[in-house]
Amino acid sequence: MKKVVILGAGSGGTLLANLLAHEFRREIEDGAVGVQLVGEGDDHVFQPGNLDVAFRGSDPASVVRRESSLLKKGVLQVTEGAAKVDLEQRVVTTRGGSKIPYDHVVFATGAVADPGLMPGLREGSLNFHEGPAEAARIWAALQGFEGGTAVVAITRVPHKCPPSPNEAAFMLDEFFRRRGTRGSVKIKFVTPYPRPYPAEQVSDVIQPLFEKRGIELVPFFAADHVDAKAKKIYSMEGESVDYDLLIAVPPHRGAEVVRASGIGDEEGWIPVDSRTMKVRDHPEAYAIGDATSIPISKSGVVAHLQAEAVAGSLALELRGGREVFEYNGRINCPMETGLRRALFVSGTYDSAPRRERPTLLRYAMKREFASIYWSTIQGGWSWLMDAYFGETSEPHELPA
Amino acid sequence: MSQAVQKKVVDSRGSFCPGPLTDLFKAYRSARPGDLIEVWATDPAAKSDITAWASKTGNQLVSVEDDEGYTRITVKVTNKKA
Repeated sequence: MKKVVILGAGSGGTLLANLLAHEFRREIEDGAVGVQLVGEGDDHVFQPGNLDVAFRGSDPASVVRRESSLLKKGVLQVTEGAAKVDLEQRVVTTRGGSKIPYDHVVFATGAVADPGLMPGLREGSLNFHEGPAEAARIWAALQGFEGGTAVVAITRVPHKCPPSPNEAAFMLDEFFRRRGTRGSVKIKFVTPYPRPYPAEQVSDVIQPLFEKRGIELVPFFAADHVDAKAKKIYSMEGESVDYDLLIAVPPHRGAEVVRASGIGDEEGWIPVDSRTMKVRDHPEAYAIGDATSIPISKSGVVAHLQAEAVAGSLALELRGGREVFEYNGRINCPMETGLRRALFVSGTYDSAPRRERPTLLRYAMKREFASIYWSTIQGGWSWLMDAYFGETSEPHELPA
Repeated sequence: MSQAVQKKVVDSRGSFCPGPLTDLFKAYRSARPGDLIEVWATDPAAKSDITAWASKTGNQLVSVEDDEGYTRITVKVTNKKA
C-alpha cells in the first residue's frame, strides 16, 4: 500500500485529504492507497469567522464544525496530533506514541498565534487570532467600553490573514458608529510597516479610508512588550502607545511538531520550494498553507490552492508519473472595509496586488465565499473556484 | 565583555513589497546595537521603505548600492533599546 499522511486538519489538510480520497477512491477500496489525516481533536474552525464573533457578536459555535463530518469516505482520521516526524525513516509519531509510517507526508500544520511570545501581551491584550473563544472576549469587552483609546496592533509579522488587522479597525469603527459612541472613542492602528497595509497598491486605497473614518495610523512601530498595568505598548526603540483597549495580533510561530522534527527555521516555518511545495531536501514531503516560510499571505485561499496543486502532484507521483504541479503564488484575500464594503487583495508571485476600490459586490462575494466554505473544503464548488481563480498550478517535468 | 558587532545579510531578492521589510524586521528583532543588516532586494519599493524605516526608528542608513539586477541596502542598528 502507498500511504499519504497529512498532518493538520485545517483548510488545506482537510481539502487535500478529501481530494485524494476522491482521486484514489478505487485504489483506497482495493487497499492499494491509504490517506490518513492526523489532527488534534475533532473541531474545525472557519477562522475568518472569528472577526464576526469579535466585532458582530456571532455565536462562537457558529464557526465550528466537527472535522469528522467534513471528511469523505476513504479518509482515515486520527484525532491525536502528531508530535514528531522522522523524515529519514518516514514515520510520524503521535502525541500518544503511536507510529504511522508513510510514503508521502504533507505538513498542513498551520500557524500558531502565541501571545506568550511577547512579555505582557497575554495579560494586556485581547485577540481574535487564537480562536473563537478568545474572539468572544473582544465582543464582551466592547459591551462595556464606553470611551477611550482602542488600539489595534500588529505585534509581529508574519501572521495569519494579512488584511484582518485592517478589518478589525474598520469593524471597530463600524461598531462604535452604530452604537452612537464613536465620538468618545479614539481608534489607533499600530503597525511595523510604513503604511496601513503592507502592499503599497492596497495601502493607497486604505489610507484615505483610515483618514475618512478617523483611524489614526502609528507606523514603523516594532512592538517589544506590553505593560498591562500601565496600559502601554512599547516599541523596540522605547516609544510607547497608551491604550484603554488593546486588540493585538499576537506573534505567530510554526506548529510544535515542525520544531520537534527539526525541519523549520527558528520560528518554526518550513522551508519549501515555493512552486512545487516540496520540503527542501525531502522530495517525498510537502508543506502547504500557513506552515511554510515562503513570503506569501498566510490565508485559507492560499492553503486551498496549494492543496489542489499538491493533490495533483500526488495523483501523478503515486501512479509513477514524472511530473509535479507548480503553484503560481495566487493570493486572494478579502478585506472588509466596514459599512458593507470590501476589496480583494489579489496577486501572484509574478504580479503584485493591484489597486481596487471597496464595493458592495466584493462584500457580497466575501460573504458568499464564507457561506460555501464548508462545502469547498470537501471539494465542492470546484467549478466556481476554477472559474474564479483560473489555472493556479500546472504540471511540469521533474528534474532528473 | 562586549560582544562582537555582527553583519547579517538578508536575501529578499524576488520578493515583492513588503517582503524585504518583513525580512528586515525579522533580522532586527535578533540584532544588537551596533550590528549591521544588509538587505538584498529586487523590489524597487525596498529603497524608499527601508530608508523611511531607518529615519523613523532612529537607526542609521549606511549605504544603498545598486548591483546587477538588485539593490544592497545596509542599515546599522543604533537605536534599539530592547
